[in-house]
Amino acid sequence: MKKTEAIPTAAVGHEADELPMGGGWRRRLSFQNISAIYLFVVVFVIFSILVPGTFLTPGTWLGIFDAESLTVLAAIAVMIPLVAGVFNLAIGAEIAWAVMFVSVLQASWDVPFWIAIPITLACGALIGLLSGLIITRLKIDSFIATLGMSSILLAAKWFISDNRQITGLDEGFREVARAGWVLAYNSQGNPTFKITLPVMVMLGVALIVWYVLERIPVGRRMYAIGYNAEGARLSGVKVERLQIGTLMAGGVIAALAGVLMASKLNSGDPTVGPSMLLPALTAVFLGSTQFKGGRFNVWGTVLALYVLAVGIKGLQLLGASGWVEDLFYGIALLGAVALSRWEVTAKRLGAVKRATTFRRRKAESAEPPAAS
Amino acid sequence: MTMEQPTTPLLRIEGMTKVFAGTRALDDVSLELRSGEIVAVVGHNGSGKSTLVKILAGVYTADGGTVTLEDEDSELPTEIHIIHQDLGLAAELSAVENIGIPKYQGSAAWVPFRARKERATATRLISRFGSRFDVTVPVGRLAPAQRSIIAIARALDGWKHSRNVLILDEPTEALHASEVAVLFDAVKKLAAEGAGVIFISHRLDEVVELADRIVVLRDGRKVADESSAGIDQDTLVSYVTGVAAGEAESGRAARATGEVVLEVENLAGEDIEGIDLTVRAGEVVGVAGVLGSGREALPALVFGSRAGSADRFEVRGEAYERRSPSESIRRGIGFVPGDRARLGSVRPLTARENVTLPELDSLTDGLGAISARRERRHVAGLITKYEVRPPRQEQVFAQFSGGNQQKIVFAKWLRNEPTLLLLEEPTQGVDIGAKQALYTAIDEAAARGAGILVCSSEAKELVRLCDRVLVMRDGRVAAELSGEQLTETRLVKEGYGLGDEGAQ
Repeated sequence: MKKTEAIPTAAVGHEADELPMGGGWRRRLSFQNISAIYLFVVVFVIFSILVPGTFLTPGTWLGIFDAESLTVLAAIAVMIPLVAGVFNLAIGAEIAWAVMFVSVLQASWDVPFWIAIPITLACGALIGLLSGLIITRLKIDSFIATLGMSSILLAAKWFISDNRQITGLDEGFREVARAGWVLAYNSQGNPTFKITLPVMVMLGVALIVWYVLERIPVGRRMYAIGYNAEGARLSGVKVERLQIGTLMAGGVIAALAGVLMASKLNSGDPTVGPSMLLPALTAVFLGSTQFKGGRFNVWGTVLALYVLAVGIKGLQLLGASGWVEDLFYGIALLGAVALSRWEVTAKRLGAVKRATTFRRRKAESAEPPAAS
Repeated sequence: MTMEQPTTPLLRIEGMTKVFAGTRALDDVSLELRSGEIVAVVGHNGSGKSTLVKILAGVYTADGGTVTLEDEDSELPTEIHIIHQDLGLAAELSAVENIGIPKYQGSAAWVPFRARKERATATRLISRFGSRFDVTVPVGRLAPAQRSIIAIARALDGWKHSRNVLILDEPTEALHASEVAVLFDAVKKLAAEGAGVIFISHRLDEVVELADRIVVLRDGRKVADESSAGIDQDTLVSYVTGVAAGEAESGRAARATGEVVLEVENLAGEDIEGIDLTVRAGEVVGVAGVLGSGREALPALVFGSRAGSADRFEVRGEAYERRSPSESIRRGIGFVPGDRARLGSVRPLTARENVTLPELDSLTDGLGAISARRERRHVAGLITKYEVRPPRQEQVFAQFSGGNQQKIVFAKWLRNEPTLLLLEEPTQGVDIGAKQALYTAIDEAAARGAGILVCSSEAKELVRLCDRVLVMRDGRVAAELSGEQLTETRLVKEGYGLGDEGAQ
C-alpha cells in the first residue's frame, strides 16, 4: 500500500477557518471582504492631510454625493444585466439618448415634462428589449451586440438633435434635479445640508435592486444564469426571457439617469453620457469584490463608485490635470477585474486542496480496497 | 527497413500504474506492441483505457511503470502518434490546411507555402488509403470516415520511416458500418507497412475482426491478452464484465408499479431515430447502450432541453406538446444530467441555492420574497436526509467532493417528490459510499411512487437498480431485458450488437 498520498494532519487542521461560511466579525471586517472601505479610509486620511481646507468641507462632500448619484445609477444599470451574464456596453449611449430625447420632446415637440419623462423611460425599456432580442434571438454575443447598439443610439441622438445643445426646456423640469430634502440651514437661511432628488432616486433604485437580487426568486435565478446559463436552464430557469428583462430594467434606469442629467444641466447636452460607461463598469467590478465574495452586488457597487469618486476629487483638489480621471478609472478597472479574478482562482485553489485532503483522509481511514 | 527482427517490440509498457484519489485507474498494466501488429485495447468505461492513452500522450504522469520505445537513442527513433476521438481537426479548414497545421514551425512559419505542392502531398497521403476526395473543401463537409483518414494522414505526414506507433482512441464512434470498413482497410495497410497500431474501442464485434491481439482492461487491470484468432465473443464479454459466460447474476425483487407516468410514441431527435417508451409509477426503467447509441441523448429529449418530436407524449395521461425544462419541472419531471459540473449544477452558488433553484415559489412569503429561515430549515432537512458531507448548506457547491455534489443534485430533484425522474449516469465520478446512498435514494423514490428512467453506461448499475432495461443501438431500442434475462452479460452483449444469434 503506497502511503505517499497521505497528507500530514497538521495541514488539515486549519482548513475550517478557510471555509467561506456565514458569521464571524473577523471575516466580515477582513480586508478581502471590505477592501474598498479600508481604501476609502486611506484616501480620506491622505487628502485630509494634503488639502484639508477644501477636502474637508461639507460642500465638497455633498457635491460628490449629488454629482455621482447619476453615475451610480449608470453602474446599477450595467450591473443588473451583468448579474445574468450580459454585458451592456451601450449604457453610456443609452444615457446620452435619454438626455437628448427628453430635451427634444420638450423643446421641439412641446411635450410637458411630466409626460416627456415617462415617455423617455418607456423608450429606455424599449431599447433594452431590442438589445435583449438581438442578443437572445440572433445569438450575438452581448459584447458585440451592445457595442453595435451603442453606435446606433449615438447616431439616433445626433439625428433628433443635430448634435446641438438643446435649450428652452419646460419651466418645471429644472426643478426635478434640484428638489430635495434640506436637513440644515446656515445663518443666512441657505441650505448647507440637502439630500437632493437624484440621491434619493439613486438610493431608492439601489434598495429595490438589492431587494430583487437578494430576496426574490428572480434575483436568485439571475445569479444562476450569470454563473451557468445552461445549468440554470436545466433547473427550469427561463434564461432568455430573464436576460431580456434585465436589459429592459437596465434601460429604464439608464433613461432615468439621462432624465436627471438633462434636468440638472437644464439642457440637452450632446456630449454627456458615453463617458459614464467606464466609471460604471469599474465600480461594478470593484463592487463585486466587496461584501459578497465575488458576486456582483448593489451596495458593493455604490460603495466602490463613491470611493473612486472621492479619490478623483482629492486628486483634482491637489491640482491634477483633467486626464487624471481617465487614468484613474482605467487603472482601477484593470485592478478591480484582476482582483476579482485572483479571488476566484485563490478560492478555487483552496477548494481543490480541501476536496483532495477530504478524500485522501477518507481513503486513508477506510479499509484498503479488496485485492481483486 | 529492418523487418527481420520482429522480436524487439516497438513499444513496451511495463507495470504502468496510475492512482487517482485512492482508486487505481491503472494497476500494473504491461503491454507490448510489435511492428506490423494491430492490438485492440477494450474495456468498459472506467476500465483504464483512456488513462492509458493519456499517459502515453503525456497528459498524465504515471505513478509507476516504464514505457520503452524501440531505437530510442537512434537517429530515427520510433515515434508515438495519437489520434484522439475528436480527431483534432479544424472543421472550417480544408484537408490540405489541416494536414499543414503541425508543420512549418519556427522560421519556416514565415515562408509562403506552395499551394500546388501542398495539395499534391495531401492527395498522395490520402490516396495511400485508397480513397480519393476533394482535399480543398472544409473538412466539416466531408464524411466522418474521410475526416478520420485526414487525421491519420496528418499523423503519417511527418513519418521518416514506417516503424512508428499509431494509437487510435475510439476512432469508429461516429462512423457507419461501411465507413468503418474504409477506416479498417487504412489501418491494415499501415500495419502491413510495419507500423504498430493500438486500437482503443468498446465495440467488441469490430475488434475481433480487425485486431491481431486483444487486450482487455477491467478496473484498471489487464485481465486478458490473447490472439484474436482464438477468442470468441462470449469469452470476450466475460473478460469485459468479469462474469463467467452463462453464469446468472442476481436479479432483484420486482417492484409494485402503478399508473403510467410517461407514455411516449415515436420520440425522435438528434441521435434518436424513434423510440416508444412507457414508464409506470414506482418503476425503474434502465436505458443501456454504447456511446453514440442514443442512450445519452434520451433523457434530455424527454426533459425538453433538446428539441425533438413525438407522435404521442403524455405525462400522467396528459398530453405534453411544447416541451421545455421549466414546463417539465412544472409537470413534476426531474432531470439529473450526466455532466454534473456543466449542466447539473451552478458551481459558484452555495449548496442551498443549488438545491432550491428549480422551485422557489413554495419558499416565498406574501411579498414574494424568499423566506431565508424557511429555506434554510428546508435545506438543512434535505442535507441530513441525504447525508451530505460536510453538512454545510452555505458552502459553495464546487467545494464539495464529487459524491456529495451528486447527493446535493439528488436532493434538488427529489425534494418535491417528482412524478418522473430522469437520471443520466447517476453515479459517475462518485465514491463507493456515496454510490450506495444514491442507490438507496433511487429505491426510496421509486417506493414513494416516482417513475424513474436511468440511463447508464454501467451494466452492473442497471442490473442493480432496474426492473427492466431498454438496450439502445443506433438510435433505436434494440432489445428490452427484464426479470431473468436482465444480467450484465446480456446487457453488454446486446449493447455491442451481439445478441443471441451472434453468440450461438
